Amino acid sequence: MDKVAVTGIGIVSPSGIGKRQFWANIKSGRSFVKEITRFDSSKYPSRIAGQIDDLEKYSHISERLMKKIDTFSHMALIASELALQDAGIDIKNEDPNLVGIFLGNAIGGWLYAETELRDLYIEGREGVSPYMASAWFPAAPQGQVSIYYGIKGFSKTVVADRASSSMALGYARKVLAKNKLNMILAGGMEAPVTPYALLCCNTYGALSKNNSDPKSAYRPFDQNRSGCVIGEGSGVVVMESIERAKSRKANILALISGYATTCDGVDRINCDSKGLELSRAIKEALSDAKASPSDIDYISLDGLAVDLWDNSEVEAIRNVFGKNAESIPASCPKSMFGNLLGASGAVDLVTTILAMENNLVPPTINLDVPAKQGLNYIGKEAREHKINKALVISRGRGGINAVLVVEKA
Amino acid sequence: MDTKLKIKEVLVDLLKVKPEELKDDLSLQDSIGVDSTEMVESVIALEKAFGVKLSPKEITKSSNINDIEKVILSKTS
Repeated sequence: MDKVAVTGIGIVSPSGIGKRQFWANIKSGRSFVKEITRFDSSKYPSRIAGQIDDLEKYSHISERLMKKIDTFSHMALIASELALQDAGIDIKNEDPNLVGIFLGNAIGGWLYAETELRDLYIEGREGVSPYMASAWFPAAPQGQVSIYYGIKGFSKTVVADRASSSMALGYARKVLAKNKLNMILAGGMEAPVTPYALLCCNTYGALSKNNSDPKSAYRPFDQNRSGCVIGEGSGVVVMESIERAKSRKANILALISGYATTCDGVDRINCDSKGLELSRAIKEALSDAKASPSDIDYISLDGLAVDLWDNSEVEAIRNVFGKNAESIPASCPKSMFGNLLGASGAVDLVTTILAMENNLVPPTINLDVPAKQGLNYIGKEAREHKINKALVISRGRGGINAVLVVEKA
Repeated sequence: MDTKLKIKEVLVDLLKVKPEELKDDLSLQDSIGVDSTEMVESVIALEKAFGVKLSPKEITKSSNINDIEKVILSKTS
């Protein structure tokens, strides 16, 4: 399938809003995981997260619109605006029927929903905002971005747990390759730092309870790992055909050249312990990109920081790359700002593109001693390294695997 | 308080629009681009503010401030 150009990046994350601020913090290995302050989380087993406190500063969203939308839509609107600015695209000059939106989300807009549900039980049905129904559901950000920019082309929201946004990106590439659209805003958003969403994430059992030391709590692949830490934010990129990008003299940041998805099909929650289907997804993504394992010079790891998930991820990579896996730099930058669940794949893609641009592999902070050998882990500090082709791995609960291949333009 | 002024206050507070955007003789649709959900909210808020029962058929997107004032005055006087 054809390669597709990425010409704009929009990032809203605990490590920064906008790609310059984000990358400055990523390359320096700073952790933005901290105790949750948005609400009283003192009774939760895990009460730390990557939280964004200054969203309003970056927003041109009117107060009138703000009362109708949840935080996750707000984040997607800001990320979309940043991506369009970065791509140098004025949407007014586009044919709205040929612009699409492909976003991924795992859990919906719970900050809005929880407030309204509380009012439902306290005040009765008249206490509930009429915007509740349209603010909460996972496709709400797609709708809001569409309304805000007048975008009317074929669009989709993908819900596939933590693999949601990688799937959305893969789907977007497929649609662009068929010449169905001129350009797509693709990525994902997640806002899980709310009382109920945090409760659900705690129930899942994959969160670190190292509340006393938030900055070192998320330790993917480390022998003292204790689970992941949630984070909130959004990553959106502008995707278009290489021909169109060249004809409008756009700065092509990277190419998405391969994508594949598979399911483990073994358990409601857990993944396959051998990572066999993840291996297949990696092989199929490489085949889609017409690349061989030896072409890959960076691997962006999913890194849930749970024994079963991390170990099976290492096995899956070893299964594809063999001994060569020990020489390809691999890291999990989300250790710095938390796992953005349904938005994690999009943020990993953004990080990987910035890593390519800067010839620097971002670190996996808190990775002191690997629990399972076999990969060339990049630990505490970023490492200079030229990246031409990279693999971005995303995995979701129950064993959903989505893999992207990204190339330097 | 003047009925018209109170109507505007209710709508400004509820819909988060600027007071000058609401025109006495221009429909809510044409002046502030009100959507259907905002209309539902507006009718409920006006009912509460004036202590009257209003039908969504009496106040619509096509109503302007003068029209709304007439409907409310007919029920309060």
